[in-house]
Amino acid sequence: MDQDHSEADWRVRRTVALLAAVSLAALAGPRGAAAQSAADVLAQGVRAYQDLEFDGAAGLLRRSLAFQGTEALAPAAAARALIYLAATEFFRNHRDSATAVARRLVLLDPRFRPDQLVFPPQVVALYEGVRRATPAVIARAPADTSIRPGADAYAVRLYASAFHEISATLGTEAGRVVRALYAGPIGDSDSLDLTWNGLDSAGARVPDGRYAVAVTSLDRQRRVVRTLRLPLEVAQPAVDTLPHPLPPADSLLRPERQSYGPALRALAPGALTGVAIAVLPKVVASREDASGARFFVGGTVTIAGIAAFLSHHPGRPIPGNAAHNRVLRDDWRRALDAVIGRNAQRMREVRMRIRSGAPLLVTPEGP
Amino acid sequence: MTRILTVVCAAALGVLPAPLAAQARWRLSLGASGGGETVRSRSDSLAERLSGAVFTGEAMATRERFILRLRYGQGHVTAGSATVMARDVAEGEALLGYTARPWLTLWFGPHARTYGTALGDQRWLFWSARVGVRGNLFPGRLESFVELWQGFSGRVSRPASSAAGRGAEAGLQLRLASRPLWGRLAYRVEQGRIGASRRETVEAITLTVGYVPLR
Repeated sequence: MDQDHSEADWRVRRTVALLAAVSLAALAGPRGAAAQSAADVLAQGVRAYQDLEFDGAAGLLRRSLAFQGTEALAPAAAARALIYLAATEFFRNHRDSATAVARRLVLLDPRFRPDQLVFPPQVVALYEGVRRATPAVIARAPADTSIRPGADAYAVRLYASAFHEISATLGTEAGRVVRALYAGPIGDSDSLDLTWNGLDSAGARVPDGRYAVAVTSLDRQRRVVRTLRLPLEVAQPAVDTLPHPLPPADSLLRPERQSYGPALRALAPGALTGVAIAVLPKVVASREDASGARFFVGGTVTIAGIAAFLSHHPGRPIPGNAAHNRVLRDDWRRALDAVIGRNAQRMREVRMRIRSGAPLLVTPEGP
Repeated sequence: MTRILTVVCAAALGVLPAPLAAQARWRLSLGASGGGETVRSRSDSLAERLSGAVFTGEAMATRERFILRLRYGQGHVTAGSATVMARDVAEGEALLGYTARPWLTLWFGPHARTYGTALGDQRWLFWSARVGVRGNLFPGRLESFVELWQGFSGRVSRPASSAAGRGAEAGLQLRLASRPLWGRLAYRVEQGRIGASRRETVEAITLTVGYVPLR
């Protein structure tokens, strides 16, 4: 009886222990799955693809791409996940899905090319077709650098998915174009360097602020396909420049031509007196026929007034005054040029700091 | 009347230089002119036109803003018709002026004119106020001038009656650069009235040569 009882007790204990172990295993199982990284999931997805378990591979690869933030795949790993996912969808006969994934890969990294030893020709051909039909550009620029405006150049390297036309401009945050940087074709086999010397289209330094390099991809009909915006932040220390000398004051300048004022003041008395003599009989002795002899006197006075007017040579250049003014203006110009030169030297010595942000692709139909 | 005016002007011309010489601030200018004069006499029943030459002497003394000007002239005017009696003409003025602005002078004083015929003399006398303006054509050398006068009190001797009158003179005055001489070409017109029925109009063109001592 005791033996039966102890055996039953042992069985209960064993059952409880098994249940506890199963419970612990059940609890431990999900924790282990949650701890898997995006890279682990990607590796599982790749193994599933290689084992031709395409349905499982598709799920794992999508899971690996779904990680966000700091847990997300690095760009190179994300590209690897996308090409495996595209191949997986291709072999699952989901051609549209494969094409969409391939396009996503092209936009992520236009330089990506599938390994022809890993993927079959059908998958490579699918990707190449999508790449050629998806003109896109990515930009690589120094994250933080400084240049001497007008002397150095800030370089932005562009890579394209396919040969197409682009136009590149530097603009303000509000969209106003500060300077055109490039307009023309870009190939898919090599890079294109955009350079900016820190100046606007008028040759002046751009003020501090936020700008963006906008690279617009165009299709064969020159319609905008998408635009890459590379934000830039420009800052430069204040420069202690010299004030420009003021031009010579008017009080120092002499008239360069004879004024009409004195000439007219000389003409006026003669002309007015001549007119007065003509009309005086009407004023003083009305109802009398005045003799015409007064016109002799009036004409003489008027002619004298005209002679006085001409004697002032109104409007004639005064060479002495012009030379005097020229000396003053030349002195001022030399002083101004000297100050401009010194200020330009100071400005050249100031470096412009340029920091670039994360590029953003904008497409008319949405990302 | 002619004789009286002659005496007054001669006395003034003879007496003024003495005190002027004593006071350096006085400036004296003398001049003599000749010119043609046309006299028109009109009344309800009369219309005469006479012309002739008149010669005038003048003296002008200036001290600061004040000016004393004396003029006296004589001449003879005749008509082309034998039915119109010729006249001797004597005219004179003694004016005191004040230079309110360099270009503006105000005058005041008597202005007289006498016509002498075989039938007797007829004298016109006006107390006049004048405004004279000058403008430089060539400063210090050549200037134009206009002078307007209005008689605010006038009398005529034959027939004895009150009279009204006004006139104007305008022209050109030249001063030589390095010589104490000056010249003037002027046109003068004036008219005296007795009521509404009688008026005497005088037009003259004169050429004056003057002397002003250089300081």
